[in-house]
Amino acid sequence: MLARIRLTFKQHRFETMAVTIVCVALTATALVEAYRLNSLNVPLACLQTYQGGYMTVIGGPSQGPVTAAQAQCNELANSFFDMRRSLDMNLVQLLLLLVPLLAGIVVGAPLVAREIEQGTAPLSWALAGSRRRWLLGKVLAGVLLLASLMLAVGLAANVLEGALNPGLNPYASFSNYLGRGVMDVFWALAAFAGTFALGTILGRTMPAVVLALVVCFFARAAWDSGMTHFVLRPFAVQQVQQDQLQQQGYVVYGPGGPSTADLYVYYKSFIDGKEVTDAEVNAWYNLNMVCVPISTPTSSDSTSPAGTGSPGASSSPGGMPTPDESGVDSGVPCQNPTIDPSHMPQQVTYVIPGGWYWQTVALESGLLLLGSLFCGAIAFVWVDRRRPY
Amino acid sequence: MAGDPGAPIGTTALAAHGLSKRFGRKVALDAVDLAVPAGSVTALVGPNGAGKTTLIRVCMAFERPNSGGVEVDGVDPWKHRSEALRRVGYVPQTPAVYRGLSVEDHLSMARSLHSGFDASYARRRLEQLGIPLDQRADTLSGGQAAQLGLAVALGTRAKVLLLDEPLANLDPLARREFIQVLLDAVRSEGSTALLSSHIVTDVEDACDRLVILGGGKIRLDCPLEEARQTHRLTEADSPPPGATAVGSFLGKGGQKVMTLWRLATVANGEGAAHGAGGTGDAGPSPEAASLEDVVLGYLAAGRGAGLQLN
Repeated sequence: MLARIRLTFKQHRFETMAVTIVCVALTATALVEAYRLNSLNVPLACLQTYQGGYMTVIGGPSQGPVTAAQAQCNELANSFFDMRRSLDMNLVQLLLLLVPLLAGIVVGAPLVAREIEQGTAPLSWALAGSRRRWLLGKVLAGVLLLASLMLAVGLAANVLEGALNPGLNPYASFSNYLGRGVMDVFWALAAFAGTFALGTILGRTMPAVVLALVVCFFARAAWDSGMTHFVLRPFAVQQVQQDQLQQQGYVVYGPGGPSTADLYVYYKSFIDGKEVTDAEVNAWYNLNMVCVPISTPTSSDSTSPAGTGSPGASSSPGGMPTPDESGVDSGVPCQNPTIDPSHMPQQVTYVIPGGWYWQTVALESGLLLLGSLFCGAIAFVWVDRRRPY
Repeated sequence: MAGDPGAPIGTTALAAHGLSKRFGRKVALDAVDLAVPAGSVTALVGPNGAGKTTLIRVCMAFERPNSGGVEVDGVDPWKHRSEALRRVGYVPQTPAVYRGLSVEDHLSMARSLHSGFDASYARRRLEQLGIPLDQRADTLSGGQAAQLGLAVALGTRAKVLLLDEPLANLDPLARREFIQVLLDAVRSEGSTALLSSHIVTDVEDACDRLVILGGGKIRLDCPLEEARQTHRLTEADSPPPGATAVGSFLGKGGQKVMTLWRLATVANGEGAAHGAGGTGDAGPSPEAASLEDVVLGYLAAGRGAGLQLN
């Protein structure tokens, strides 16, 4: 089997070399970019109090006059954000997202298809009693190559993610989690398995590449939504239920979840304990939160059962969606009615906490692996039945 | 015309029984019965599209027959593929070599795929031909690439060798070398070879048995010598006594229509070549038919292009 693997690398030396060079270069570049960011040594406090608004969820922008220390802080933070926004940094991040899929496609497409195109399949299949064993040798070579390279790329992406978000533990955070770490390995393997299955069925390299690109694009685009709707919700519900038990009531998180490390899944709205839709929330606001003119009471009083409110009442408490305030007549001073907060719409944001990173990654990696095995199984069945030309 | 149904069990290296294969509406093989005796070198001759490649591909389990079946050394390749393929050495139609792999790499690959592959045997044969083992296979000449394919097939030490038009793209010298290596191997190993070709002269000196395939049917299946002795050629439609017409076709130069006749009995000696059965009273004396004439006659009959003779 070792000889088969070695010869497979040699046979596909162009793809092997190309993918290796790209992955090594990308790994090195990501590490260099991370080093550049880290070498700025920007204190986390500077980023949290930066006037530009970084991590406003955590710390919020500082108020008041700018001190000398704050100015120095801002200067450092400016350099940090300039580097983060730079073209090369964006390019590296884009490549880190794309390379696992592209590498899988490039390695997988010619595995069987080129043998059929170049007429070498009859030679090999005549020698190999079992075509599946023949394919296994080739697949193992591809898996070894991709797993080792993508692990390096994924780890470098983790390092870069840590550098891009100081104070964030990449192994306990969902920030860009689909494009880094072991997920890179499994994305590459899934693309590889899908593409070599397509190559086996089609028997042509280029059509397999094109089709695989399309399939991978849609699979990747649909992944978030699919995961959210069908897989991750139970996790998030479980977490929210825990929090509810602890807090004896609704959990009202801010936009994006309670922290940047968490993974937002979805939200639900409630009015007086009853689950309602967004439209019903809007209707409630339109009915109850109509701006009441301060000086001249109008007929709108009759549509506001809560009566006149006190100044300063929030129109969107708890990060609620901004209600439709079509009742406000600009130019006329008015105030919102006062309503008992316990009767206002409440929003529960379902998130998976960053601490559940490994469980979630294991789950999603497992699903990708299942998909890979399914595609591989199709290829193994097909290769046994197809013509070698 | 059926093959050799009377061949005793154990002496048939390759057999087809009622073998049919269709591709859509096109019939590639039509109820073919064939028996290739063990130890023979059989020429499978026919025009392009006759079904030669399909027959070999069915034997290699590359194609599934629509009806009937084949047995390679007694094993049905479609039902027991790995077992059947262990008994077969295969040389494909065009020399298929892996670009970027050396000759030695090809032998390594064959060894890794075929448990019984004798790499040293194959290596010796290639060295005898002066083919450098470290040379990249895609830089070999056509003849050398064909020899590499043959060496790989011979290295399997298979009982049956199936060669699918391996000579088609070779120059005359390379053809001769190829045939010689094949014959040496077959004789020394006692194996059986089925060599397909659409060029009769390629196989005339190498084979001891002739199978003519045309339109998906076996037109003739007999020892090569018998094919020569039982056929005569005339210019006119006057048959030799007891002979039946096979087919008519344009002779060399395209001036005369020649008719191939099959004799009822095997003609012996020189006299037979000039007048089967000693007759010479009905028109011009029949000539001894060359192998090419025999093939042309049967192919003309198969196409229905021959003159209608009684």
